[in-house]
Amino acid sequence: MAASIAGVFENDLQQAINSSKVFVVGAGGIGCEILKNLVMSGFNDIEIIDLDTIDVSNLNRQFLFHKQHVGKSKAEVARESALSFNPTVNIKAYHDSTMSADYGVNFFKRFAVVMNALDNRMARNHVNRMCLAADVPLIESGTAGYEGQVELIKKQLTQCYECLPKAPQKTYPGCTIRNTPSEPIHCIVWSKHLFNQLFGENDPDMDVSPDTADPDAAGDAGMAALKGEANDQGNVTRVTTREWAVKSNYDPEKLFRKLFHDDIKYLLSMGNLWKNRTPPKPLVFGEVPDAVAGCSNETDAVLKDQKIWSVAECVEIFSSSCRNLYSQQQRLDLGDNLVWDKDDKDAMDFVASCANIRAYIFGIPQKSRFDIKSMAGNIIPAIATSNAIVAGLVVLKAFYVLRGQLENCQSVYLRNKPNHKNVQIVPEACLVEPNSKCYVCSPKHEVQLCVDVQSLTVKELEEQILKKGLHMVAPDVITATGTVILSSEEGETTDNYPKTLSQMGVVNGSILKADDFLQNYELNIVIVQRCLTRDGPLFEIIGSETAKPGSPEKLQPENGQTDDDDDVVHVIDGESTSNATSSIRKRKLET
Amino acid sequence: MGEMASVDITEDEAQLYDRQIRLWGLESQKRLRKARVLVIGARGFGAEVFPRSEIGKNRAEASLERAQELNPMVEITADKEKIDDKPDSFFGNFDVVCATECTTAQFLHLDNVCRENNIKFFCGDVYGFFGYIFLDLQIQEFMEEVTTITNTHEPTGEPLAKKRKTEKTVQNTKGTETYVPLQDALDVDWTSESYAKRLKRMDPSYFVMKALLKFCDKKGRKPSPSEREKDIESLKEFVKEELTKQKIREDFVPELLLKDVFAEISPVCAIMGGITAQEIIKTVSQKERPHNNIFFFNPLKCIGYSACFGV
Repeated sequence: MAASIAGVFENDLQQAINSSKVFVVGAGGIGCEILKNLVMSGFNDIEIIDLDTIDVSNLNRQFLFHKQHVGKSKAEVARESALSFNPTVNIKAYHDSTMSADYGVNFFKRFAVVMNALDNRMARNHVNRMCLAADVPLIESGTAGYEGQVELIKKQLTQCYECLPKAPQKTYPGCTIRNTPSEPIHCIVWSKHLFNQLFGENDPDMDVSPDTADPDAAGDAGMAALKGEANDQGNVTRVTTREWAVKSNYDPEKLFRKLFHDDIKYLLSMGNLWKNRTPPKPLVFGEVPDAVAGCSNETDAVLKDQKIWSVAECVEIFSSSCRNLYSQQQRLDLGDNLVWDKDDKDAMDFVASCANIRAYIFGIPQKSRFDIKSMAGNIIPAIATSNAIVAGLVVLKAFYVLRGQLENCQSVYLRNKPNHKNVQIVPEACLVEPNSKCYVCSPKHEVQLCVDVQSLTVKELEEQILKKGLHMVAPDVITATGTVILSSEEGETTDNYPKTLSQMGVVNGSILKADDFLQNYELNIVIVQRCLTRDGPLFEIIGSETAKPGSPEKLQPENGQTDDDDDVVHVIDGESTSNATSSIRKRKLET
Repeated sequence: MGEMASVDITEDEAQLYDRQIRLWGLESQKRLRKARVLVIGARGFGAEVFPRSEIGKNRAEASLERAQELNPMVEITADKEKIDDKPDSFFGNFDVVCATECTTAQFLHLDNVCRENNIKFFCGDVYGFFGYIFLDLQIQEFMEEVTTITNTHEPTGEPLAKKRKTEKTVQNTKGTETYVPLQDALDVDWTSESYAKRLKRMDPSYFVMKALLKFCDKKGRKPSPSEREKDIESLKEFVKEELTKQKIREDFVPELLLKDVFAEISPVCAIMGGITAQEIIKTVSQKERPHNNIFFFNPLKCIGYSACFGV
């Protein structure tokens, strides 16, 4: 391996590689690539964590996994496969969630560098806070389609992951799509995948059937059912959605029964999934509601596309578009497939109707065809080459970190297309300073919470605001006068759950002190009373204020997508609003 | 499609165009599925272009990580000596040839053979942290998504300082790129007026590549870790020779760029492998504009860019 051969690296780098203990968070697409790069470069002491098990759909892209590994822990199998490149390397694998209390500040302090290879914001926020608390350099990375980015997060030196507000996510974990959707976009992604499964090019990444490898579902009736599918050789033969549809001649009623009834019942049998979630309700083909919940009466004024269909209408459109697509497919040459196109009426009708039926089943609000069309266009498939390139950049940056050359750890972006100077891998000119008002990494942690103290319950405070909104994992909350509102100890404050904030003595101007012991994170929450309106949001958090509202730099891109205007002539008014934005503009490269 | 400010397309034209785009998408998928790619050289870099593809395995099953759901049929030849033994007709079996770990003479020969047979040619290497790939796609036609940003003024005659509105439109457009042979790209005369001008703002990677090629040709090997100090000195000499010949100042190539060129560093192989795979996919599917004609990864600046040489 490179570092074990004298003369490959300069001495300081060779020593750093040989002696550093490093941590990889995530053993999926990027994680496996990073692990391979680390092992081939000669690292001797690596730890890797992932809570997932291997699914058939992973085999296509996550090259450390093979057929015989399905069902096993990703972290553990990644470790075994990596050892085949170099049997002498020490790799410790954890089949666990990083957010568990077992991985506290002292755990993180052991590492010279931490590398994130995650696919969801909750975990990224959590690791961000852990590394800040432990003062360990964190290399954060992500990909979205052909784009990607790598950045260093170091306390007081650079922006942390939560310094700037983030644009909405554009990629989603498989089990959310297949098992536990909670937002319209999850249903739309599922429907697009369904289209491809039935009519398009086969992609094992786009499975729509229930995901039995879902870590949330561990040890369930569903598993028993899966075992029951085994044939007499003891092997489970899985029929693909496509095979099933062909056998049923694409009969819409049969498809409906499988996708919206049988598969839903299967999901229900995975009881663990529904402990803290609203369970889905299977639908029967002939018995769907006619009325549309909460739709406007202005049928003339509203464009046909912007109307929200009733579930009965969705089923009709599902059936007819399905038949039309089947005919289209029959007319193709052998081996050809339909290509999803949002401008193809039947393809779009199919996706819109499926998405709404699925949303109805899971108690998620339905959307108009118009809205679905624009959301569907924004979904980005995962691409293996981007993972490889980004993982390469991650390890290169790790080299600099280990040599103590943090000034060489500017962020670097992988672009979909080269910019006008033909640069495709684009480095930032300099490190980006932390946001001085960041409610996570700045010395003064404070946010304002606009909420109706007369109606918001303590339970909502914990679930919606502290956990979902502020990404805490196990929060404690006390008032300025020392009243304990919430305790992370189980059972201590459950009596408070149904009480409203005002019943707990919280009024306009109260300052609540919230802290998460595991993340070593404290936050002052200033309450701003705002009456709840019928259509208004439950709450609003006003945190870091850096960019002017409406300016394009306000939303920091998630998962590697840079604002694609950045090198094209920018005609929005040119005032610089913060360090962060001005350094992005400074990116002028000489090639 | 987008809202175009003033172009008038009839309903029929729009539909025809739409269908052509969709057909192009379908054709492109077909091309990708059937593409035959030859990768020469299977160490470090070569192995990362289409990893896990196994010669002789059932092609339908050999899933190629880099190609996602698109599966070019890839044959990997590890033994570069064998390449000299192969008759030119052997290469006619492929749509794309991607060569690494060859001498300049071998690269040139392969490029010629490919040109004669309308085969798309890629060649390149990773030296330590530094990497490059050269593309000769002869004439490449493709469809690309072009984003145009147009300014639309406020019509009220407000002072210019007021915020202007912009509109973004995305449209599929057909494009063509023309490529020069490898020989031309390597034979650039930097004393000529047009090239001398380019030097002002140019990254020095081109000269690093040339020095490394010269090193391999003269020494019959890549720079070796066990000869680290000596090989760095040789490289500096080769750089100096070239810069002098081209009347370029001696310090044009920073010495630091010549120090980390040993072995094939895994993360850089991954980067170059990924970029190369993407370019091959773009080329075969004829979707999006491929680089023209050399892509460099400069590890000192952590920058990956392409530039055109030899035109």
